[in-house]
Amino acid sequence: MKTINAKTKDLKFTNQALKESLNGHPVVIKNAEAIYGLAAGLKHGQVIIEGSAGDYLGVLNDGATIHVTQNVGKYLADNMTQGTVIVDGDALYGPGQYCYGGTIVIRGNAGDFAATMNKGATIIVGGNVGDEVGTYMLKGNLIIVGNAGKNLANYLIRGSIYIGGVWESLGHNTKVAALTGDDKAQLQAYFETYQIVADAKSFKKIIAASEKPFYN
Amino acid sequence: MAVIGAFCVSVNREVCINSQMPGKCATCAQVCPHGVYALDLLTGEMDIQNYNTCVGCRICSEFCPVNAIRINPAEPEYITRYPWTFGAIEEIHYKAQTGEYLLRGFGTHGQTPNFDMITVVPSQIASTAPLDKYREECDMEVVIGEDTCEKPIHLKLPFVWAAMSFGALSKEAKMSLAIGAAMTGIAANTGEGGLLPEEAWLARGFTDSEMSRKKWEPGGYLIIQWSTGRWGVSVDYVNSGDAVEVKIGQGAKPGMGGHLLGAKVTDDVARVRGVPKGSDALSPCRYYDVQSLEDMKHMVAFLRDVTHYQFPILFKLGPSRPYADVAACIEAGADAISIDGMVGGTGCSPDLVTQGVGIPTIACLPPAVQALKDYGVHHKVKLIALGGIRNGLDAYKAMAMGADAVGFGSAAEIALGCRVCYACHKGNCPYGITSPKPEMRARLDPVEGGQRLANFIHATAEEIKILTMLSGHRATIELSTEDLRAMDLNTAALTGLKLAGYERSLPMWEGVFASSATPAGNGKNGKHVRQAVSKT
Repeated sequence: MKTINAKTKDLKFTNQALKESLNGHPVVIKNAEAIYGLAAGLKHGQVIIEGSAGDYLGVLNDGATIHVTQNVGKYLADNMTQGTVIVDGDALYGPGQYCYGGTIVIRGNAGDFAATMNKGATIIVGGNVGDEVGTYMLKGNLIIVGNAGKNLANYLIRGSIYIGGVWESLGHNTKVAALTGDDKAQLQAYFETYQIVADAKSFKKIIAASEKPFYN
Repeated sequence: MAVIGAFCVSVNREVCINSQMPGKCATCAQVCPHGVYALDLLTGEMDIQNYNTCVGCRICSEFCPVNAIRINPAEPEYITRYPWTFGAIEEIHYKAQTGEYLLRGFGTHGQTPNFDMITVVPSQIASTAPLDKYREECDMEVVIGEDTCEKPIHLKLPFVWAAMSFGALSKEAKMSLAIGAAMTGIAANTGEGGLLPEEAWLARGFTDSEMSRKKWEPGGYLIIQWSTGRWGVSVDYVNSGDAVEVKIGQGAKPGMGGHLLGAKVTDDVARVRGVPKGSDALSPCRYYDVQSLEDMKHMVAFLRDVTHYQFPILFKLGPSRPYADVAACIEAGADAISIDGMVGGTGCSPDLVTQGVGIPTIACLPPAVQALKDYGVHHKVKLIALGGIRNGLDAYKAMAMGADAVGFGSAAEIALGCRVCYACHKGNCPYGITSPKPEMRARLDPVEGGQRLANFIHATAEEIKILTMLSGHRATIELSTEDLRAMDLNTAALTGLKLAGYERSLPMWEGVFASSATPAGNGKNGKHVRQAVSKT
């Protein structure tokens, strides 16, 4: 297992060192808070970030597994297409935006505009989420164990949002649907896989009221 | 007589029921309250007895059961009825009937300040002698990213295709643009709709995905667009071209994103964009993953990183506040900046935005150039002018005003056969350019289309060469505002160009940029730009 100390290092150096170190073994990165765009565009490998990470962690991730032991900045796993990103702490504004695939697990809380324009990823938040979460979502799943702020799922186009707690308000073009047996089984499987304590039976499901929310 | 204006009343006698069977129909005469029509009670024949009483209410046309009547203004509406033109009236009726605002395609129409009232100043005895177009060379090459990336773009001619997405355009139109770029050594652009696979090899001049069979020389480039909708975007996508363009805005609908209506999201489009078939593909008006200029810098940094520091990073701006916007792009690390004036085109936009929002191209250029000069990067960070560029004359003027290159969008569509009906958004383009329907797409052959585009580019390049050399220059980079004169006060006021005859800029332009950002290197301009950005 190789360790990279990112303290005082820039993005180019750190990501280059990371790519060169991904040879089948996990790579540990320390002192990564100040690096923006760390582990960008990786297609494989396992990255462990000890401590917290900065903005745009795992942007364009295309297959790597990234684990952060503390918190992350804004725009976690932005535009991810494949892979898994797990954060043990909280994620600031906008985690999981523009993702086409992969899985994001945030064990703590997630900020506003999480999962905006999600196009296929599964995003699991163990705590609460902020406002406008799931805006313009087109595909994929967003699972919120805790509560949500204002305008949850605003202008939802396609995809499903599951929430265990309560929301402050729902956004446009949303409706609450009955949780099916398949939904419960899928949720329970995610919880077991990622060791999240929650009871799938108590979740509510939110889907788009219309598949064409903008024009008739 | 008419209340305002005069009207021509025409009846198509071949379909008019009364003409075929007198007495059977006299609806027009019955409904017209102004005595335009007269019915002969003996013969049953209807005729137009008094054109002069027609007020243009069109009630006859509305009621005619066979749609045989046409009422057209005898004088331009803008003289007789403005602002209550028939277009304005019909728009209100449409809204009253449907509760919806008007959408349309293409771009701005009507009188918008453009390059027409700028003239080129030729060389003569008091200046450098003109050059011989036949014997002497004219350098038009433009290099983007020569100091910042490993694989700069070398445009053989100072042109790019404006970004137009697959979905807004048909597959055949996109392929035509790629082939046209390959034939001329210029750059195609994916637009924001993802990568049509064929684009990647056709733009480089190859006929196969392995890029082993090159057919078109010299081969062109492909610019990959990164936008607010992020359609079809992955790490492979951003590495599949020769440059990445960060789209901030566009001329036809600045301040708005894009919206490909679900009806145009066919199987092919859905596959390329990575969205469900039939779903609205909405590109938001702003990046949800950029909240500040610092974020934008980080975005440029990671785009350089994921493209292995090989490709130039371009920005595309709509026409808003050109000085501050261009300065922000420079701060963010742009290698080239496209600025799209309000005449720029679109596949679909609310009519009022296309028609009434933004700054004309000719007025965008002076502040944009000034920002580049203030940062000491004019002609280093390349400026590409977009928005209503029609020919070599427009292109020359844009470059003399400080642009390094120009982009063609609407003109490229016209070169493919478009007749400018403003209905791109309906998906029924009869020339196969913007329609997803197979029967219409079959009318556009990509190789033939590519050849038409290449012909257009070659002719336009020759026009620029003529103008460049008659004004005494060996290269387009030598052009300057001294090669131009404004021909009216309005254009002189908008551009700061010297007024023909007056031979000076208007006094209002004196010191107009004196309070702008200080040159790069002293640390002040960053603050200036951040303030400007925060205000906007």
